[in-house]
Amino acid sequence: MEVLSFTENTGLIALLVAILPFFSFVFILSSNKQKGANFALSTSALSFLLSLHLFLQIWNAEPEHVQLSWFQVAKVQFFAGVLLNNLSVLMMVLVSGISVLVHIYSREYMKNDPNLNRYWAYLNLFCFSMIGLVISDSLLLIYLFWELVGFSSYLLIGFWFNKNAASQAAKKAFIMNRIGDLGFLIGILIIYAQFQTLDLVSLFGDKGLLSSSFIENGLWISGSRNMPEIWLSIAGFSFFLGAMAKSAQFPLHAWLPDAMEGPTSISSLLHAATMVAAGVFLIARIYSVFDPLVLDIMVWIGAFTAFMAATIALTQNDIKRILAYSTISQLGFMVMALGIGAYSESIFHLTTHAFFKCLLFLAAGSVIHQLHHYSIKNSHGFDYQDIRFMGGLRKRMPFAFLGMCLASAALVGLPLTSGFLSKDSILIRTFEWAASREGVFVILPWIMVLTSWLTAFYIFRLIFRVFFSESREIKLDKLAHINDSPSSMTYVLIILSFFCTFIVFALNPVSFESSWLWKGFQLSVIKETRFFHWLVPLIINLGSILLIMFAYRIYVLDKSSKLTVGSWLYQISIRGWFFNEIYDFMFVKSVEKLAQIIYQFDRVVIDGLVIALATITQLLSSISHWFDRKVVDGLVNATGVFSGYIGRFFRTFQSGRLQHYLITMLLFVLSFFILSYLI
Amino acid sequence: MGQEQILFYFFGASVLISALCVVLMRNLVRSIFLFFVTLFCLAALYLFALADFIALSQVVIYAGGVLVLMLFAFMLSSRELLNSIKPAVSGFKVNHLAGILTSILFLFILFRVIIKTNFNQLMWIQKSIPITSNENTAHQIGIHIMTAYLLPFEILSIFLLMVLIGAAHLARKGGKE
Amino acid sequence: MIPVAHFMFISASLFCIGLYAVLTRRNTIQILIGIEFMINAAVLNFVAFGKYDKISGGGQMFALFAIVLAAAGVAVALAIILNVYRYFKSIDPTKTDTLKN
Repeated sequence: MEVLSFTENTGLIALLVAILPFFSFVFILSSNKQKGANFALSTSALSFLLSLHLFLQIWNAEPEHVQLSWFQVAKVQFFAGVLLNNLSVLMMVLVSGISVLVHIYSREYMKNDPNLNRYWAYLNLFCFSMIGLVISDSLLLIYLFWELVGFSSYLLIGFWFNKNAASQAAKKAFIMNRIGDLGFLIGILIIYAQFQTLDLVSLFGDKGLLSSSFIENGLWISGSRNMPEIWLSIAGFSFFLGAMAKSAQFPLHAWLPDAMEGPTSISSLLHAATMVAAGVFLIARIYSVFDPLVLDIMVWIGAFTAFMAATIALTQNDIKRILAYSTISQLGFMVMALGIGAYSESIFHLTTHAFFKCLLFLAAGSVIHQLHHYSIKNSHGFDYQDIRFMGGLRKRMPFAFLGMCLASAALVGLPLTSGFLSKDSILIRTFEWAASREGVFVILPWIMVLTSWLTAFYIFRLIFRVFFSESREIKLDKLAHINDSPSSMTYVLIILSFFCTFIVFALNPVSFESSWLWKGFQLSVIKETRFFHWLVPLIINLGSILLIMFAYRIYVLDKSSKLTVGSWLYQISIRGWFFNEIYDFMFVKSVEKLAQIIYQFDRVVIDGLVIALATITQLLSSISHWFDRKVVDGLVNATGVFSGYIGRFFRTFQSGRLQHYLITMLLFVLSFFILSYLI
Repeated sequence: MGQEQILFYFFGASVLISALCVVLMRNLVRSIFLFFVTLFCLAALYLFALADFIALSQVVIYAGGVLVLMLFAFMLSSRELLNSIKPAVSGFKVNHLAGILTSILFLFILFRVIIKTNFNQLMWIQKSIPITSNENTAHQIGIHIMTAYLLPFEILSIFLLMVLIGAAHLARKGGKE
Repeated sequence: MIPVAHFMFISASLFCIGLYAVLTRRNTIQILIGIEFMINAAVLNFVAFGKYDKISGGGQMFALFAIVLAAAGVAVALAIILNVYRYFKSIDPTKTDTLKN
């Protein structure tokens, strides 16, 4: 009894964690008062505390699984419930924790927005759907929350929908996510067709259906059912497609940089820390569905995405776009890590990344916030997100500067930061994995190392541009008016900075194996090579430090660089490898062409048919009109006229004249006579 | 052909011709006078049927009664009657044609019946005793009236009285109010 | 002896002449004359057949009655004609087309 009630309580608490933000969403939407901020903050804080409680209970303990019968289709029962294991409680704490911080931050950041209530409502809707996503125990529920997450992301990106770019970006994000959602749905359908259930535990558990299914003679066999082997790969790829869209992997990455049109606090919560991690989370949640083929695809896509995004980030000028590409790059790392089987490393990096990327965004938001105020006050027309117009803010905004530095160090993977542990662990695993493979896989770790070095360059380019060199726009005497952001925003930065240090995750600053988080997911199957464990971090850090110095030379000391604006490499980078153009050409143009063809088809064939039909109908009706007029009316008239004639004829007999009657009578009598003679 | 036949056909022809003239004549007075001729000739024909009393009464009643009555009728009445009679707007009307056709048809049928019938073969004619020319029919008729035909005779007399009164009443001048 | 059929022919012709007058004449008196013709044709037939009926004398008797009746009819008819004329100012039967005013 005791155990049961405990289990029940856990499930209820998890439900409460998810429902609280939803409750606040409904409440804020239904009330017109501007009290949304306090309410949202209190519910999210409560939700965070509850999830923390759950985390402490579940972490490294037995997973809890509570479910209720939801509905029944034919003989198949569908369950809805809560599955709490290490992964989900970690994500839960991550989401609700960062959400609380973003709530606090947003109170100040969004203070003057006229539609604040809507902002809080959307934010809470997102929290509800994200927490629902991580605790759901069935693919169907996950899919529902997946869609909700995408929808709330759409709402938040387009929060300033009267800005054309924002509404376009929201639309783009939504459409690109649709592609992924389609893949997810296909995957669900294949799984359902094979196993007749969508329950996560029975499917992907230790002794689940997937691990007991096997491949023999080209058939994928599970129990009495089987289907061709290829369907397993297709299912895996379909799920991966869903994850790709959500986690902005190539080729579905193009929406994330545009999503930066939303408020910066949103970018930090959704598009850096949590929502984009949903794809990685999904892959981790259903890990056993991926067969080696799909894992290899995952590796290459992740690696390519990481590299491509890093190169693009090198030249971007919009502060948020640099961070967005950095996010894509880091997500690429995580996906690649999952692809090579570095499961725990990937989750580890997801967690640390959530904190330092959130910090990066919030610090950048702080800068933007202040510059925005400045530009409004002085009616300067400059773009307050463009790093080319910034500079020298180090002294004016020390907390933002320090936060950003710490987060950047974590991003680069410098020692004593959380990033050093997680990112280098991924790189080490990559080397180890590549050592066990042959051929083209050998270059993979070097790509990742290169990416990592590029990361160091672009993030410090940003820092040097913003905080060190002199501003090109803002005169030094005016700088006196720029301060650090209000205290509540600063506190958030400080808290997040704390989470970027190694101490939160491991006591030993150089060994990721000592991290409690890494130990929570003992799934790695890669053969360890101790040799890499000190060599790889060394290579990376040396290279990074060199590149940071190089960046310092270029941007602070203003030395010329080889990477000039005119070169084609620069063009490729700043235009984002021309993906927008390619998509525009490949999809938008062709869709437009198709639309035009269909339009012409409509005009010529459909309209033609309709017009022809109309003409034929008209013709028929005119024929029938003629027929009516001439034949039917004619018949009627003829009947009338005939009757008239008969009447007139018989009227002659009724003349009232005696002689006529007599004649008639006689004629009849005579005709009888004649007839009697004739017959 | 004996004398008798010649006379018979003469009278027969004059009956028909005069009757036609009576009918076709426009002038009413002339036609009434021609009517005399017809009636007299008819009376002559009755003689050939050995009905001398009938011939006599025909002459007396018709020539002496009916015709005088007719002449009186319109001669004693107003002038307008005579005037209106005269013009008799003619024209070969449909009515006219139909009348002619009907009459001719009727004539044909009658002729056909007569021709088809062989009178000498009829039973009652063969059995009968014909009247001979030297008999006194007036005597016979007197006996018949007073015996076999007494009732019709009496009815006829009453009828004649009624006619007399009725005609007198109708012909009363200004006899309405 | 005159054959009966010849009487018949004459009487038939006379009847048809009378009929013609009745049907076509537009003068009431002429119509009356036509009627007289037809009665006379009938009388001629009576008389012709009465020749063979010596015992009962039916033919001649009825011929007599017919003549008397015809005379009576003429008297009444003329009276009517006079009245009609007074009323309609015409003795054209086509114009006297009402029985009651």
